[in-house]
Amino acid sequence: MSDLIKTVLVFMVLTFARPASSIAQTAGTSKYKCMIQMTNYMGEGAYIVVSLINPKNAYDKTLYVMGQDKKWYNSLKEWHKFQSKKPVNISAITGASVTGGDRSVNVLEIESAKINAGYKLRFESAVEDKNYYVKDLEIPLTTEALSGKSEGTGFIRYVRFSPN
Amino acid sequence: MTISIWRYSHLALAVSSFLLLTLASVTGIVLSFQPISEKIQPYRSDRFNEINLAQSLPLLRKQYPGISELTVDANQFVQIKGSDADGKNLLALVDPETGRILGTPQPKSGFFEWVTALHRSLFLHETGRFFIGITAFLLLMIAVSGTILIIQRQRGLKRFFTRIVRNNFAQYYHVVLGRLSLIPIIIIALTGTYLSLARFGLISTPEFSNEIDFNEIKSEPVKSPDQFDVFRRVSLSEVQSVEFPFSEDPEDYYTLKLSDREITVNQITGEILGEVKYPAAVLLTNLSLDLHTGRTNAAWAVVLAVASANILFFIYSGFTITLKRRANRVKNKYTADESEFIILVGSENGSTFRFASAIHEQLVSSGKAAYVTEMDNYTAFPKATHMIVMTATYGLGNAPTNASRFETLLERNPQPQPVRFSVVGFGSHSYPDFCKYAFEVDNLFAKQQWAVPMLEIHTVNDKSPDEFSHWAANWSQHADVPLIVSAGLVTPRLHRPHALTVISKTTVSNAEEAFLIRMRPEKQLDFTSGDLLAIYPADDHRERLYSVGKVGNDVQLSVKLHVNGLGSEYLYGLQLGETIDARIDSNAHFHFPENAGTVVMISNGTGIAPFLGMIDQQPVYTDCHLYCGFRNEASFALYKNALDRNLADKKLSSLHVAFSREGEKQYVRDLLARDEAFLMDVLSREGVIMLCGSLSMQNNVVALLEEICQKHLEKSVSYFQSRSQVLMDCY
Repeated sequence: MSDLIKTVLVFMVLTFARPASSIAQTAGTSKYKCMIQMTNYMGEGAYIVVSLINPKNAYDKTLYVMGQDKKWYNSLKEWHKFQSKKPVNISAITGASVTGGDRSVNVLEIESAKINAGYKLRFESAVEDKNYYVKDLEIPLTTEALSGKSEGTGFIRYVRFSPN
Repeated sequence: MTISIWRYSHLALAVSSFLLLTLASVTGIVLSFQPISEKIQPYRSDRFNEINLAQSLPLLRKQYPGISELTVDANQFVQIKGSDADGKNLLALVDPETGRILGTPQPKSGFFEWVTALHRSLFLHETGRFFIGITAFLLLMIAVSGTILIIQRQRGLKRFFTRIVRNNFAQYYHVVLGRLSLIPIIIIALTGTYLSLARFGLISTPEFSNEIDFNEIKSEPVKSPDQFDVFRRVSLSEVQSVEFPFSEDPEDYYTLKLSDREITVNQITGEILGEVKYPAAVLLTNLSLDLHTGRTNAAWAVVLAVASANILFFIYSGFTITLKRRANRVKNKYTADESEFIILVGSENGSTFRFASAIHEQLVSSGKAAYVTEMDNYTAFPKATHMIVMTATYGLGNAPTNASRFETLLERNPQPQPVRFSVVGFGSHSYPDFCKYAFEVDNLFAKQQWAVPMLEIHTVNDKSPDEFSHWAANWSQHADVPLIVSAGLVTPRLHRPHALTVISKTTVSNAEEAFLIRMRPEKQLDFTSGDLLAIYPADDHRERLYSVGKVGNDVQLSVKLHVNGLGSEYLYGLQLGETIDARIDSNAHFHFPENAGTVVMISNGTGIAPFLGMIDQQPVYTDCHLYCGFRNEASFALYKNALDRNLADKKLSSLHVAFSREGEKQYVRDLLARDEAFLMDVLSREGVIMLCGSLSMQNNVVALLEEICQKHLEKSVSYFQSRSQVLMDCY
């Protein structure tokens, strides 16, 4: 091979390697559309938190919060402990609370490395003056679970995902 | 009598709820500004009412493929939620027709959220909601009992909105504003109660859900969403929210939540998969929220704010009225059994107690055993030698609240020893059936074996201290008990806020002649002819009242100079330019009627004073007739010029003068008898007859009117009095 061809090749490799490395960085997270369908309960809107749970069964990260008034956050007892111990700014991942019979569709951003790695998704729910469910729904964070429908046990009827 | 039940309930309900009611009203006023502040934001599309879903949904889904939901709020702002091209969460207010983003929804104002929480739950969650719910219900009951009280006060549903007799500020406006804001307040209370009941599940909302048979879902024929029938039929204004299909899968569908039903629509074929109407309970809850919060209409929100402010005023004025009544209650030093002097009081609102306690105090301080009680506490009084009954009359000659059982009790409890009695009736000539109940009581006593009449029945008009003192002096003579009822005891008002300067005065050649005096208020003063001027000639408790005529902006009095007359000599002695402190009291029952066709004015002597002002204040071509009586031509001369000018200006249609000591020696009654047909015509055409002058003239004229009213119209004068067609202000 001539020097010229070598130079061209090196150039091409460099040119393509650059975007490739940046792809590798953003490929670290995946976005999923997540739909929560509520049961037909009567009463105030439910506060729901979606959290990532690590293989040791401890909170790893808050993925989404439905409910904007901080004064009710303590009704989500377990998560509130985690959030108060290590406060994280959640304003970008906070939306409206969800009333009975309604649904809420939100985008969850999950680190790809944690999928199929023993992590779980926990849906924790509470309604003012009604029940609190630590695990209204908890599913293993697997590719299979992220493409299907899972039934809740409390205020949540079911949760569906679709890749975004 | 039922009046007492309603009044006591009205009070008891108010007392039990006023703290929370104050809080709810204040926060309610603040919250009514929330819809107003939201609606002024520029996010509402002008063509909102013309857009249907076929024009909007497909376009929005094309522009925002990640759209999951569209909501229309109470301000008709359209908000979409979903994810944008980068997969990030998207929340925006858009123009439903173009998809253009107008703004991002602002998080709800923390302040309003805080006030809302206080308004509906006092920050006490469920417990607080319960108390607020009860308060709303109590407010409803207060409004209902208040309505019944107004109906009873106005003597009938038909007269609900007619004129109210004005007693004092708090009482008058409590009733006036009560009538005006009744409907908004009932709506606030009713919707508040309903929302609480619904909140606590006491109104059962049947479960409803759109069941979908997934086996029946078709994936053809494929139709473009803008051709879906249901989208073209439903306009955006009916929509509460739309849930877009979660994915492209035919099993995912549109859910349209409309104002009265929920429809699910196949996203491929546009077929309706299911349709459920909301249960009535849900619709009522929504309606209640709209009405209670004013969220859909800024004008209604303003009405709600005004009504809430009125509730605060009712709390204030209601307690003022109650405290006044309470203050009139009497404490007894002696028991009923050991007392010689028994004072029985019949009072609707407690004001008669003031007179009773004045007498009671005097008796006790002069060493007599005296006892004051309500007429309904009548029983056998073993040591009684004297009995004084002081009673008002309620409504159409009925017994006041606390005398409702008196008649029965009187029959049942005869006194074992003879007792001398005297009845004092309190009332107002502005009401028909003046002191009628007092007359009834007097007759009841006369029938009792043990009762010995001591004085003729005595009446007191408009709480007049003079008339009352007159009775007291008379009674003390007959009972041989020293009694000095200073007017100060019964007239606590010595208030003289208005300064008046004398600007003209006529002179008299003899005593017992009348003079005209004109005074100019130093400051702008809101008064009119027929109002009363109160002066305190000796700078003490002694008050003199004069009916005023308003001429220009001046106060004009017509006064007869009496020898040793306290008021008349004082006024006559005033120099031009001299300023006096006095008070002008509104005397609404004797104002020139608004919108009456024909007005007939009848006076004798100086009673002409208010009419001079009234005629002068009228525009030309007023249908106004004056009948006046004087002693002779000379005493009429004082007014002749002014009245001739009024006739020339067409402010006065006719003038009839009677002279009692000259010529035909007529009284004003004779002129009226002559024009009987005219007077009856005036009354039957809803015209008004006004009387001002001496009481004896009033008695004569009323007797004549009674006779001719019965003859021609088969009605009593009191019928016209109660319709404000016969107005009297005599002394």
